[in-house]
Formats: sequence, structure tokens, C-alpha cells
Amino acid sequence: MSVVRKFRPPNRLAKLIKDRGGLMAKDAIAAAEVGVESLREASLAVLDEALSEIERRFGPGAPDRESESFESLYGLTLQMIDVSTFVADAGVDQAAISLAAITDSCAEAGVWRWNAIDVHLNALRLLRTVGAQLPAADRQAMLEGLYKVSHRKIDEL
Amino acid sequence: MDVLQPSTRINLEKASVLVLDDNGPSLDILSQVVSGFGVNQLSRAESVKEAQALVATKTFDLIISDVQIPEVDGIEFINWLRREAPETNRYVPVILVTGHTRTTDIFRTRDAGANFTVAKPITPKVLLERIFWVAREERAFIECDTYAGPDRRFKYEGPPIGVEGRRRDDLPAEVGTAQEANMSQDEINSLMKVAKVQI
Repeated sequence: MSVVRKFRPPNRLAKLIKDRGGLMAKDAIAAAEVGVESLREASLAVLDEALSEIERRFGPGAPDRESESFESLYGLTLQMIDVSTFVADAGVDQAAISLAAITDSCAEAGVWRWNAIDVHLNALRLLRTVGAQLPAADRQAMLEGLYKVSHRKIDEL
Repeated sequence: MDVLQPSTRINLEKASVLVLDDNGPSLDILSQVVSGFGVNQLSRAESVKEAQALVATKTFDLIISDVQIPEVDGIEFINWLRREAPETNRYVPVILVTGHTRTTDIFRTRDAGANFTVAKPITPKVLLERIFWVAREERAFIECDTYAGPDRRFKYEGPPIGVEGRRRDDLPAEVGTAQEANMSQDEINSLMKVAKVQI
């Protein structure tokens, strides 16, 4: 049986955070949002580049998509999620997370589910283009549909 | 868990923070968020190797690390940190950030030894709230053969009904017969005496 040691190490952060001065939480959040905003253009360029590469290599017209690796699609999808804070109002972040889930389930099963991936790619392009202008209920319905598709097991298809 | 109020004051000016993410644009976003919180001593790493070199030479008060990193990932980094890093950094609070947790990584992430896991895309509000929680929490640290990190059972509310608890301080779910006579009203009143409190 292993020995378990339970103790309370000093938490330096706990002491520092209480020091006099500093910022009010609302001001710290506002300052962080201003800083992040300066990265909008560069981040959107990264997101669009990743989406285009996914479409080129994994879209319905990609001639060699059967031979592509699950890891490549998963990695590209994560790149989109990383910077998708700027398109959260369009639902792109949720659609990308759903695509990551489906890619992970494909990787586990060792089988591509192209119909589900194609649906996600179409939705991602639509959301990226007009997602923010869609009525909220329509956008939500679309995201819920993607979620259901991505969480269906291979053997349920 | 304490709630972070908009008017709560937070001082991170002297905090030394390490952010680790292999994806440059994502690292930029994390860095901007953390700098916006008033952190002046910010170290950036794009690989676990870089992060390990920094941990070996500097003392950090907080580490924020991505999970999905090629070759050696964020989970392995935290495992190393909790077991092999210099003592000054071994117990530092860690927040993991991840765009998606693979099915095969769910238990690895839980057992990594991080204080919290935050979903990407990062928003300043959520990250600041987690930093605040990490600074305020009083979880014990656990070290054993299979795990090193903050106690994972921090929302522990007792054993399930009908199950006998394994902890020394576990109480039975059912309330038994009173062992002593009821307290008198005077005794109850004396427990609620007016006292000066600092607000």
C-alpha cells in the first residue's frame, strides 16, 4: 500500500493577490479585453487560414482525404478553437469544438465519418460568413444539431 | 467557492507567471490577458523543454499551460513539475487550458495535478475568476505513488447515502438519536452574542 502525504504548502499567490494596490476585477478584465482586441486581425487570419486548409485537405472535393491523418484534422481544428474568441458571437467556437469531438471519435474508431465532417465544414463556413447575423435561435439550433451529430457513436450510424 | 465581484481588488503586479502554449497566436492571447490583469513578470514558453528550463531557474507564483503540445504535452509537464521540479516551484498553482479534451485524455487531465482546467477559447473574465479561486482556495496537497497535486475531491460533500465513508471525518448520512439533552434557550443565546466584526 502506498504512503499518502497530505499537507498544505504555502500559496505565494494568495499573499500577493491581497497586497495593497492592484486593480478592481472589472478594470483588470477591461484591460485584458483591450489587450486581446489588438490581436483580432492576426487571430482571424490564423482562423481563416486553418479553415481553408481543412476545407482543402478534408472537404468533399479533396482528392486524398482518405489518406489524411486524424491527427492533422484534430490539430488544425484546435488551431481554430485557440483563436475563436473573436468569433464566439457567430458560433464558430462551438462548431469547431464539435468538429474536434467528431475527429477524436473518428480517431478512436479508426474510421472517417465523412458525412458528419462535411456537415461541420459547411456549418463552419456558413457561421464564419454570416453566423453573427443569423437569428440567435437559428444559430443555436444549428449548433445543437452539430453537437448531436458529433456525439453519435459510430455504431449508431 | 468565493465569487469574484467586479469591485474585488486583485494585485498581481508582483506575481511571476509562466504561460506555456505551442501555438503562437494562442500564446499571444494568453499573454495579453495575463498582462491586462497587471502581471509585470510574465514568462512565455512555446515548448515543455523551454518551460522546464524556466522552471529550473525562476520561481513562479502561477503557471498557465496548454494541454495539447506536440511531443511532450501539458499533462506530462505538470506531472514533471509536481514530482521533479525544484521545490520552490513544485507546489505552484497550475491552470490548464484546452480547446478540447480527448476521450483518452479525460483521466490523464484529471490526474495531472493541476488546480483547474479551463476550456478555450479563453475569456478574460473566466481566467481571472479561476486565478482568483486558485489564490483563495485552501485545498490540501496530496502526494502518493499515483498522484501529486491538489486534493481532487475539493467538492466533497460526504459519502453517497447508504455508503460508509472512508475518511476519518466522514459522518453517517442518517442523523442518529440525540446523545445529550437539548440545549437551553440561554445556552443558544450565548452562542449568538453580539460581537464586533471587521467588514
